Amino acid sequence: MASQRVFQLGLQRAAAPSFAKLQPAGRMVQRRLAATQSVNSAEGHEILAKQRLQRPVSPHLTIYKPQITWTASSFNRITGVALSGSLYLFGFAYLAAPTLGWHLETPSLVAAVASWPVAVKIAAKATVALPFFFHSLNGFRHLAWDLGIGFTNKVVIQTGWTVVGLTVATTLYYTLLG
Amino acid sequence: MLSTLARASAKPSSPLTQSLRPSFVRTAVPKSTRIAAFHATQRQQILPPLPQTIEGTANDPTPVPTPEPVHGSYHWSFERIVSAGLIPLTIAPFAAGSLNPVTDSILCALLVIHSHIGFESCIVDYFPVKRIPLARKVAMWALRIGTLTLGVALYSFETNDVGITEAVTRIWHA
Repeated sequence: MASQRVFQLGLQRAAAPSFAKLQPAGRMVQRRLAATQSVNSAEGHEILAKQRLQRPVSPHLTIYKPQITWTASSFNRITGVALSGSLYLFGFAYLAAPTLGWHLETPSLVAAVASWPVAVKIAAKATVALPFFFHSLNGFRHLAWDLGIGFTNKVVIQTGWTVVGLTVATTLYYTLLG
Repeated sequence: MLSTLARASAKPSSPLTQSLRPSFVRTAVPKSTRIAAFHATQRQQILPPLPQTIEGTANDPTPVPTPEPVHGSYHWSFERIVSAGLIPLTIAPFAAGSLNPVTDSILCALLVIHSHIGFESCIVDYFPVKRIPLARKVAMWALRIGTLTLGVALYSFETNDVGITEAVTRIWHA
């Protein structure tokens, strides 16, 4: 820092010498006395390894203010994993069903679901519909971003809340009416 | 005059006063204390750093993998094409009731690929090779086996049963 300043002052003086503004160079010069010692490469590695432990580490997510930009993004992944995870589990169960004596053919499932009370049906439908509609609708945003569309902070916030609104609407419609 | 003004308008300890004062009058607060003032909350780290090992010499550049479109741009475009292809196949059953067997099978195939890619990126994100190499390998192989099993299961479902869109429609209206 100090050496840079001295260099700049020198340049200024060279460009426009003015004796009225002349400052003694000693005023700006700092002297730092530092002792150096040479270490071998093994010791050097040890010092470096110790120094690297001092580097900052990302703090926990809870320090960030919840905003639609990043919460929607995490919810996108969570819903995706939930939907695909259910599909995988159903696939495994469907393959294992004959061996284990389960009945996972469509008619048996329909009969099983038909016997549930209405409240349970609604709860189950909402549990499936909410992640499905969120992930599907949010997918449009991600594909738009991949084309470079709607990438300003304002638009990202607007489309984020639009997706939340549409998710709630479609989930309610298909849970209660559809 | 400046110091009088600063004293009258702001508290002596405020940052404004500090910056208005000449440097030799500024209070000598140790730097660590000044930084610590910002850290009012408990120190919570997702992953504390591992013991550091230095590979090679101290000043080696970060290894950059050789550019390979199959793992880069082609893969990226492929993911997006699969995702975009899912859009009409997802909307169609809502409009038409269910899909015919061929379209339904295409939907299944795209869902398998889309799910596989999704899980793969989760594994890449949460199981770093540097930290947990074994868990990463196990997770990737579990995913590969799981995806193949799902493929077999969906083939069986498509050929022996009514197809997923028809099945969901029937269960939904049960």
